[in-house]
Amino acid sequence: MSKKDILMKYPVLLFISLSLVFFLAWSSIAWSQAPREEAETTAQHLAVLLNVGRLIVDRNQTLINDPRKGDKGFSPEVFEHEVVNEFIRQTHMDLKHLPSHLPSLAKEVLPLLLQSSREVVADAQLVINQRGIGYKNFIPATFGSQAARKFSNHSHVKIKQTALNPRNLKNTPDAYEETALKRLATQPTSNTSVTDWIDNETTLRALTPIYYSKDCLACHGNPKGILDISGYPREGAQEGDLAGAISIQIPLKSQ
Amino acid sequence: MSVQSITRKLRHRLKESGPHGIVPLLIAFGLFLPGCGLIFDAVELVQPLTRDEMSAICSRGQLRVGISVEPFRPFVFPAVYTDEGVRVTGLDVELIREVADALTTYCGGEKPIVPTLHLTRFRDLFIEMNEGHLDLFVSSVGGNIPGARPVGLWFSIPYFHNGGIGAMIQRPEVAEKVRAQFEKQAGSPDTLAAIQSGLSGLIVAAQRGRTSHLYAEADLKNIRLLLCDSLPAAIEMRAPPIDVVVSTHAILDYVTKHVWPDWRLLTRNDGTPLVLTQESFSIVTVEEHRRLQWFLNNLLYRLEESGRLEHMRRRWLEEDYAPTRRAAMEGLPFEVSKVPEHYDQGQCRFATGR
Repeated sequence: MSKKDILMKYPVLLFISLSLVFFLAWSSIAWSQAPREEAETTAQHLAVLLNVGRLIVDRNQTLINDPRKGDKGFSPEVFEHEVVNEFIRQTHMDLKHLPSHLPSLAKEVLPLLLQSSREVVADAQLVINQRGIGYKNFIPATFGSQAARKFSNHSHVKIKQTALNPRNLKNTPDAYEETALKRLATQPTSNTSVTDWIDNETTLRALTPIYYSKDCLACHGNPKGILDISGYPREGAQEGDLAGAISIQIPLKSQ
Repeated sequence: MSVQSITRKLRHRLKESGPHGIVPLLIAFGLFLPGCGLIFDAVELVQPLTRDEMSAICSRGQLRVGISVEPFRPFVFPAVYTDEGVRVTGLDVELIREVADALTTYCGGEKPIVPTLHLTRFRDLFIEMNEGHLDLFVSSVGGNIPGARPVGLWFSIPYFHNGGIGAMIQRPEVAEKVRAQFEKQAGSPDTLAAIQSGLSGLIVAAQRGRTSHLYAEADLKNIRLLLCDSLPAAIEMRAPPIDVVVSTHAILDYVTKHVWPDWRLLTRNDGTPLVLTQESFSIVTVEEHRRLQWFLNNLLYRLEESGRLEHMRRRWLEEDYAPTRRAAMEGLPFEVSKVPEHYDQGQCRFATGR
């Protein structure tokens, strides 16, 4: 029997074989892609949550810095309530009842970041509730640094606030972050993160940009070089300039 | 068996067993003594049961330091939030670092002695110290003003000499009244007499328990003395309006320049700041901590001799700086002890019984 005959005789067999090969190849790619997508989604949500915490601190800045009030009422519970509401507004997800379709990693680390953020506000209560003291340096940047550090101490996922010229040297970018920040600085304002898989595709690096808003310019704006209220020289930034980024690192193997 | 032979035998047994043998014997003997203190003292004489305060600090790895929650800028600034968490800073905090560093060396340098700050109301520092919760405290405490040294506490040699008591005012007519008294004394300056006449009938505020309070009680007889829980409480007071605030001159000099520009230092006719009396600041510990006392005095003497104290004084009193930034760079964390959850700078009340 010639080859042609065999092919003619068993078209169904051939189809099945080819389908099987294709299915196996596709499912193997899909299987390896799944954790990567999960990590990327998780990184995205973490960046949003840290940013929401910063936003809530920013919204309450006048209250926090009010020297006439003792108890400001900005308790960890109030902070958490505002964070949860703002997170729902931005993502349509309730941090208290995370949706089932969310990656398991996200379900694990989002509550941890919320708890870390809440602890930062709890730790700062003595400072926040001092009467007679105006500026207390409890600002989005210091809140974010501490929340990120507390979270990272309890998770294999690492979060850090970074900038090209950070005021806090502990936030100095590493080589990857520096390259990504330089790339972000030249791009138009966007909420899209820079994501890359490094170390033989085993570690996700994601940088979510933070831009200067009008409120930030009181300390970071002009005149450049003149000391701001906290004693750091102003950066001479303009509204919309890149302030820095939230850097997230998720090692795939540890998951 | 005679009493003499029993005594001889006992003496012989004690000689054989050495000092370790005496301890159980003393304890047994002590059971018949009235009062446990006697037993303890007797045993301590032969073989100390407790370690001295320096060994305790070394083994603990911590130096328990009390610091005032009321700000005494630039000695103690209000606590602020930094990237590292809550921090407190100031000249006194830098001094605490020096003490802790020196203790690290004293303890062998294997593990650092960490200063654990207890942020406490000024009036409670003395109580905390006496109750044994602190090894020492530093909060621009004057030790050479009569009545400033509570029983049982010891004050070191000074780390700050120019801590005289000064005054600040808001209304120029108060200054004119005092200056008029100085003019009357042409040729024979008498600050106390001029101040007593110049401030007569005025409302003068002082922080309760501070040396300025003691000074006002003793020397300013004809004033209406208002006692405040803190300096910010005096500044916030609207009714009755305060004519003069008396406090540490260096603190008033700092706050009139950097914190409350509406207030100004009360000056002499030639424009120099009026200092009512001299005082010097000391580190405070308890009377019994003799080793720690020698350690502190020797350290302060060395810091003075090397110019380090002078550098610290210039750094905090003369340089232009932002306390928040210094807190972030070099501030110390603290434990909150006996501070109400919502720290309030307090109130002012007229002194009674004057």
